[in-house]
Amino acid sequence: MSLPVVVIGVSHKTAPVDVRERFAAGAEILPELLARLTSRPELDEAMFLSTCNRVEIVALAKPGKSLEDAKRAASRAVREALREQLGASSIDDLGDWLYEKSGDDAVRHIFRVAASLDSMVLGEPQILGQVKDAYDAAVAAGALRSHLARCVHRAFTVAKRIRSETQLGAGIVSISSVAVDLAKRIFGDLGSSTVLLVGAGEMAEQAAKSLGKTAKSIRVCNRSFDRAATLAATFGGTAAPLDQLEAELVISDVVVASTSSKTFVITRDLVKRVMKQRKGKTLFLIDIAVPRNVEPDVHKLDNVYVYNVDDLEAEVAENMKARHGEVEAAEDIVAAELADWAAWARGLNVNPTVVALRARTRGVLVAELERSLSGRLKHLTEGDRAALAQMVESATNKLLHAPTTRLKHAASVRDADAGDLVHAVHHLFDLPPVVEAFDEAERDSRMMKAESVGAHSNEDEQSGRLPH
Amino acid sequence: MNESFANVLFVLTSATYVAASAIFLRFLVRGKGDVGKLGPRLIALGAVLHAAHICVASLVLRVCPVEGIHFPMSVASMLMCAAYVVARKRLRVEVAGAFIAPLALTSLMASRFVGRAEPGEGVKSFILPFHVTLNLFGVALFGLAFSAAALYLVQERLVKSKRIDGMSRRLPPLDALDRAEHRFLLAGFPLLTIGIITGTVWAQRVEAGATADILRAVFGYVTWLVIAGVLFLRAAAGWRGRRAAYGTIAGFGFAVLVLIVYLTRTGTPHTVAGTTGTSSSSPVLTRTVQP
Repeated sequence: MSLPVVVIGVSHKTAPVDVRERFAAGAEILPELLARLTSRPELDEAMFLSTCNRVEIVALAKPGKSLEDAKRAASRAVREALREQLGASSIDDLGDWLYEKSGDDAVRHIFRVAASLDSMVLGEPQILGQVKDAYDAAVAAGALRSHLARCVHRAFTVAKRIRSETQLGAGIVSISSVAVDLAKRIFGDLGSSTVLLVGAGEMAEQAAKSLGKTAKSIRVCNRSFDRAATLAATFGGTAAPLDQLEAELVISDVVVASTSSKTFVITRDLVKRVMKQRKGKTLFLIDIAVPRNVEPDVHKLDNVYVYNVDDLEAEVAENMKARHGEVEAAEDIVAAELADWAAWARGLNVNPTVVALRARTRGVLVAELERSLSGRLKHLTEGDRAALAQMVESATNKLLHAPTTRLKHAASVRDADAGDLVHAVHHLFDLPPVVEAFDEAERDSRMMKAESVGAHSNEDEQSGRLPH
Repeated sequence: MNESFANVLFVLTSATYVAASAIFLRFLVRGKGDVGKLGPRLIALGAVLHAAHICVASLVLRVCPVEGIHFPMSVASMLMCAAYVVARKRLRVEVAGAFIAPLALTSLMASRFVGRAEPGEGVKSFILPFHVTLNLFGVALFGLAFSAAALYLVQERLVKSKRIDGMSRRLPPLDALDRAEHRFLLAGFPLLTIGIITGTVWAQRVEAGATADILRAVFGYVTWLVIAGVLFLRAAAGWRGRRAAYGTIAGFGFAVLVLIVYLTRTGTPHTVAGTTGTSSSSPVLTRTVQP
């Protein structure tokens, strides 16, 4: 039996951005949202994950009559919370955008999300940080305390394992990052390089965001000087009109061209003149405009390198292909970790029995001790009494160590005998009735065993042998 | 200390250079291994063993390491490795070990197995060790410049042809290689210049006139001219990158030709003003040697 974990949400796979943004919640309202979630009687723990590509609530149900009941109740509670978040009048208004996972599927989903196996850009590293932020917020709000906290924490381990043992996060998969990587391949550290943006549109802005972090300075050259000045001011750079392009090229090292010009803005003749003035100093031109801004022949000049958008996209596609080749290995790690987690979770099923057994044992010993202390041992000092109390605690621990370990082990390995052991313990020590949850787990286990035996019997019959 | 100890050191040095070459080659071709640590460390170990070998062999044979040519050639490669170990991080040219290690190995082997024994009596002059020492340092630095230039050409070709995955990722940035090559040339050029001057003075004193002597002098002057040209054109006309790399490789090629002429010449006696003698090239650890 798995833990009653439930995940409900929307992602880039199920809903368009205009739907996702309606579900999104900022950091400022998270504490209140989490408090509302955990105040619901059906939910024990909860976490709210909100990124640009997904919004989901991860919750652990409070124990119910049965595992399924608990999960159903938790599902209703989470959907109700999402309805409130959306301001919709009915749960049905949430439409078909939502996905829902529960039990081991939910845990697998959490592992896969943290490891970026469910991301829009496979293997991107930001998601792990976003899950960690959501975890921290939930812990701070008191919404993650025990088993679900442990589950999410386990997801971090899974993500780190996948990142270190596979190549899922290898290679660069965004155009601007490829441009930066290429510039570093030519100049090494960009700390002494000047970046020139030719054109001041959205593309130039994105490039500036990537290159501007490491470059010495940024210059913007645009037909409209005002626009150039605005963009330059954003990144603490310098603006220049387009008629000063030649002078700007002379003092720049990395050039990002993204104007909407229909003709070449940077021609071979222009760059030849520029290179003479630069005394052959290397010049790297990134042409992300369509139609192209840089004459292709410029690339043939010595110490000049031109990469256009196709070149950059080819690199991105190659890296993405390599990442997809790593998915199988990553999924294997998820499966192994999930099996490990499930074994641990099954071990929790015997906790009520262990707790009851411990209470019974300790209760008997303490009662006997108190009877003696008020009778024959009345003369004992406070120190002696404390020592005897400590002795009772130690005796309880030592006496119950082996049965506790064996019960947990039997439950964690799906041993069908675990149910018998639990019943025997309850019967022998006169404990309260066995929890229904364990009965359910035992039933599952027995059914699996019966199916397995049946399969063997069929094989035996087919082979003409008698079943054992 | 005896000859067998020197031989053991020779074998250990060779094995270390072979291992370093293999590690760099594996890294460059297959992208495997951590070349940033193990490769340079092996070259450093090789340089230490190499230095020990030179010391022991000098003591055994009673040969000055900076006289003659066989030994100095070995010393030059050891200095090249030492300079690489010192400069590699600052100039970001760790991968240059891919050229340094095989060059050092070749030089070590050549110093032992190429050439022939010459008469042991050397011409005693303070100019000769001075000339040889400066040229040794010069050649060591040009070896490093050559390695950076060769790597530059590979990386430049990859970036120009837009094959930017694989090997390109493992090579240093173009500008770092260009800068390293330039600095090694700048450092080696004054040494070469003084080496050429002292060599000219020496040649006049010994009245050198054999074909090998003339060839050696010609290749020496051409080396100086090529390196001077590369440095001048870079400063005056912006000849950087590929052109400078080709020039550096050509310059180093002529320097190697000088060494080859030294190694393969026959033992022609030189006449020094007022006395007679032979060139001081000393056979190192060869059977014909008579210390």
